[in-house]
Order: sequence, then structure tokens, then C-alpha cells
Amino acid sequence: MTMGMGRSAAPHGGAGSRSSAPRGGALFTTRQMIGAEILKLRRNRGVVAFAFLLSVVVVLLFFGYNAIQHASNPAQNGPAGGALRFDRAARVLGLYFGGLTAILIGSEAGTADISSGVFRDLVATGRSRLSLFFVRAPAAIIVTLAFNALGFLLALAASFLLAGGQPTPGVSLILESAGWIVLANVVLAGLAVGVGSVTGSRAVSLTAVIGWQLLVTELLVNVTSLGSARDALLTPAAGQLAPFDAGTGVTMATGVAIAVLVGWLAVPALAGAWRTQTRDA
Amino acid sequence: MTNTSTIIETHTLCKNFGERPAVIDLDLAVPRGCAFGFLGHNGAGKTTLIRMLLGLTSADSGAMFIRGRPMPAYRADVLARVGAIVEEPHFHGHLTGRENLRVVAAVRGPEAYGRIDGALRRVGLSDRAGDRVRTYSQGMRQRLGVARCLLSDPELLILDEPMNGLDPGGILELRMMIGELVAEGRTVFLSSHLLDEIEKTCDAAAVIDRGRLIAQGPIETLLGGERRELDVGCDDAHTALDVLDGHPSVAGARETADGLRIVLAGHNGIADINRRLVGAGVAVFRLEPVRESLEHRFLEITSRVGAPS
Repeated sequence: MTMGMGRSAAPHGGAGSRSSAPRGGALFTTRQMIGAEILKLRRNRGVVAFAFLLSVVVVLLFFGYNAIQHASNPAQNGPAGGALRFDRAARVLGLYFGGLTAILIGSEAGTADISSGVFRDLVATGRSRLSLFFVRAPAAIIVTLAFNALGFLLALAASFLLAGGQPTPGVSLILESAGWIVLANVVLAGLAVGVGSVTGSRAVSLTAVIGWQLLVTELLVNVTSLGSARDALLTPAAGQLAPFDAGTGVTMATGVAIAVLVGWLAVPALAGAWRTQTRDA
Repeated sequence: MTNTSTIIETHTLCKNFGERPAVIDLDLAVPRGCAFGFLGHNGAGKTTLIRMLLGLTSADSGAMFIRGRPMPAYRADVLARVGAIVEEPHFHGHLTGRENLRVVAAVRGPEAYGRIDGALRRVGLSDRAGDRVRTYSQGMRQRLGVARCLLSDPELLILDEPMNGLDPGGILELRMMIGELVAEGRTVFLSSHLLDEIEKTCDAAAVIDRGRLIAQGPIETLLGGERRELDVGCDDAHTALDVLDGHPSVAGARETADGLRIVLAGHNGIADINRRLVGAGVAVFRLEPVRESLEHRFLEITSRVGAPS
């Protein structure tokens, strides 16, 4: 465990041996930076365990519970699979537990460098702060979608295997549901990355986003006197684009829903980029 | 505006935190290709200067040049060949040492990947590179921090208190490594409160006190410059004083417990002083140049001396 003293151990040719700024291609470097962000996320055992729990185990429990109910009393409880159960599982993955996975991973991606203190060292490399910020969201989205894809495939398999005599989901419903889950999770992961980058604290970010999505939003959706102001909430807007009735209780034009989702993605991203740019490292 | 022989230059650099000045009119010049010590009490402004140099925080006024280019205007280009540890090295504890270096290599660019194994080998962490960093000791983290610096093939390394957490063996190894890095033509800018280490490791140094630069230059100059003194151990100080009265190499002399302390007038003449004393029958049993320690000099020139505790 001694520091090598021999020159042959030098990882380079010595100072001044070549020109500066050997940055490589922008695309290559961006890919490597996103890869590094993914590495940080997938090697975090806590994040991986909870993401697996929220995306996969919850789907297993959902179908397992329904299968047990059906087995114990087939007359009163329909089969655990089929198109209807698939709808519900997709809703769980798009708006609730899958959404929690997106928030968990997005918050971790948004705060990991800051909370560990590594942000300072990354800034000291001379790489632009904006590029450090903008690789976080793609990484968070990729990891989120990987877990939710597992949950989705599990739900799909269970929907067919446990369908009994019920109709199974059609190709169009499957594809539309997959696309909708991707859309909802992309927005939630991006939102969490933005909020995490603003706060710099995973605990604050998780509390804020989960509290807003699961408590405040649910309360506001039920305040009918707010009228169309509720269209600005993320959950109803995402629900509006679902290929089934998402049960949010608020309806709006598709264009409005898309604009709302873009806003929920863009505003936190801009705020996170601004904070990353201006934060004292 | 910049001198090609310097790798860091600052001109009337200022930084305030609210009403409190942290760095005041700082004019620093760090020569290329040396180990340069940066000394100051806690809160003197050392880390603030390092953070400004690296673009981690902005200066309020003044100018900075690193590798001959203005900062922060040429930040990306300048920092591409600068490695730094600020305050203490931070890592993702759940990643291994090698993975942590991969994270930085991704940000540095493709050439940095090829330097990971060499950097780990150089700091003696090859065997532990696959372990999670949260299992590393403080000393191992310092070494990994140095390895991270080496990924940029740095012309300039900025190390903020790098001896922290190292055991005596580790300090010796780091000192030798800094010597090697300097021998390769790199510059090592070293902030430390371990004055003895700065004295042993660095060729030149600067002293900052309450945000102001109060001294800079080669270590020898900081230690007393042209003033050279000689302790003479002898059996008869009275006779010795008479013999040396008027000697061209002696600017002054006074009695001490075991002989004399002589203020030398020039760089030569010690042999002649000895010859004359012995010739006059004075038994000389010690001739020792007085070497002031950097610690003593530091305390002498910084404002805490004489300040109420």
C-alpha cells in the first residue's frame, strides 16, 4: 500500500507534453457522462431496492392478492388477470407506485453530486455546470423506465396468464398503456431531478414532490370550486392522456393536458439548471 | 499582462462575504514547476482563494490568470490541465474507488479513462480499487483524491491540506510524490497548516493573513533572507569577541550560554572565523548556521503574534 515512486507508474507523459483541453467528441462525452450518472444510480443499493419494491413487488402483490381472492371465492371475485386488471396495473405504474419510483430515482439523480460533495470536484474539472445538470435527467429516466418496464412486463404477463375467461388486453391498449407510462414517468423523473437540483437535498426533494403529488394534488383535485384551475395539476393532466379512465375526476382538452405536462417538465428543469449554474460549489 | 514563468497570477483580487472581507487586494505569483506552499491561519482566506481560482465561487474584483489565461473567461480550457482537491476529497461512498474515477473521467473526456489504472497504481490503491469508498480510511481517500487529480495529466495540482488524515508514513510518501510530480515539470500548489511539512516539501511559499498576502518568495528568503547567523560553541566567549572585532565577515556578535552568536556580513568567512579563533587559543567545539524555522517565521509575520488570546 505504498505510493508508487517510479516514473513508470506515471499515468501520463508529464506536464506540458501536449496541448490542453483534450475534451473528445461532445456526443461521446455526453454518452459517457450519462453512463456515469446511471452507474451512480444502479450501484446505490437503497435506491435499487426501493425502486424494485415500488415497480415490481407492488405489481406482484397486486396480482397475487387478486389471484388469492379469486381462488378463495371465484363467484364473487373475478379472475386476477384480463384487460380490466391490466388497466389498473398500468394506472398504478403510471400515476402511483411507478411514479414513486420515478420520484425516488429523479431525486437521487438530482442531489447525489451535491449531497456527496462531489459536485465541487466535477465543477473544478472545467466542465460546464449546465452539462453536469442536463445529463442527470436522461440517466434518471433510463433507470426509472428500466424498473417500470419490468413491472409493466410482469403486469402484462399476469394479465394474460391469470385472465381466466376474461378478455385480455389488445395490442393497441398494451402499446398505448406503455407509451402513457413512459410519458408519465418521464415527467415525474424530470420533475424530481429539477426539484432535487434546486434543493440539493434528497430528503427535501422526496418530501416536497411526494407530498405534492400524493397529498396536495389529491386534496386539490377534490376541491371542485377550483374549477378549471385544477387542470394545471400534474396528475389530472397525465390521467387525461391515459388510454383508459385514470379516475382522476378532472377532464380537460388533450392540448391543455400536453401543455401542462410540458410545463411540469420544463419549469423544474429550468429552475434546476439555474440553481446548478449559480450554486456556490 | 501575465508572466510566462508563473502558472498562477492574481492582481488586486478581492472577495467579500457580505460585509466581511475574505480576500483583500491579493497579488500572488506562483512560479511554474515548483512545489509552492500557501500558508495561513484558519479563516485567513486560503480556501476562498483556491475556490476562486477554480471557478467555484466568483471574485468581487481583480484579475486571475492560470496557465497564462484569464479566469474565469477560459475556465474550461484552463482547468482541463488542472487537478484539485479542495478542503477534503469527496466521493460517492457507495461506488468503488475505480468507479469514482470513472465518474470523473467521464466528465474529463476520453483520454482520462486511459489514466485510471496508472493513477490508482501511482497512489498505491490498485489493490483496493474495487472496494467501496465508504470503507476507505481518510488517508486512502486523500490518495484517491490525488489519483483523481492525475486523470487530467495536470500541469498544475492544487492540493488543499493534503496531509490531513495521513499517518507519518503517508505524509512521507506524499512528500516524495509531490517531489516526483515537480520533477516531471508540474507545479504543485499546496495549502497546509503543517508548517514543517511546507518547509520540507516546498520550494517557495506565500503567507496570507486575514485576507491579505503578507509575504511570498522562496522558502530560504522567507526564513530570513540575507540575514545569516552563526552559533559558535567555544570555551572563552570574551576572547572570541575580541578576536572577531573588526573581522570583515562579522556584522555583529553577542555572547550566548555556550559561546557566541555571530551575525554574518557575507556568505563566506566561516572558515576564516574558525581559523582565527583557534589561532588565538579559543577552543571551538561547534560552528552551526542558525536556521530559523518556518513556523517561527510564520508566527512572527502573521498578526496573531502579540494578539490577545
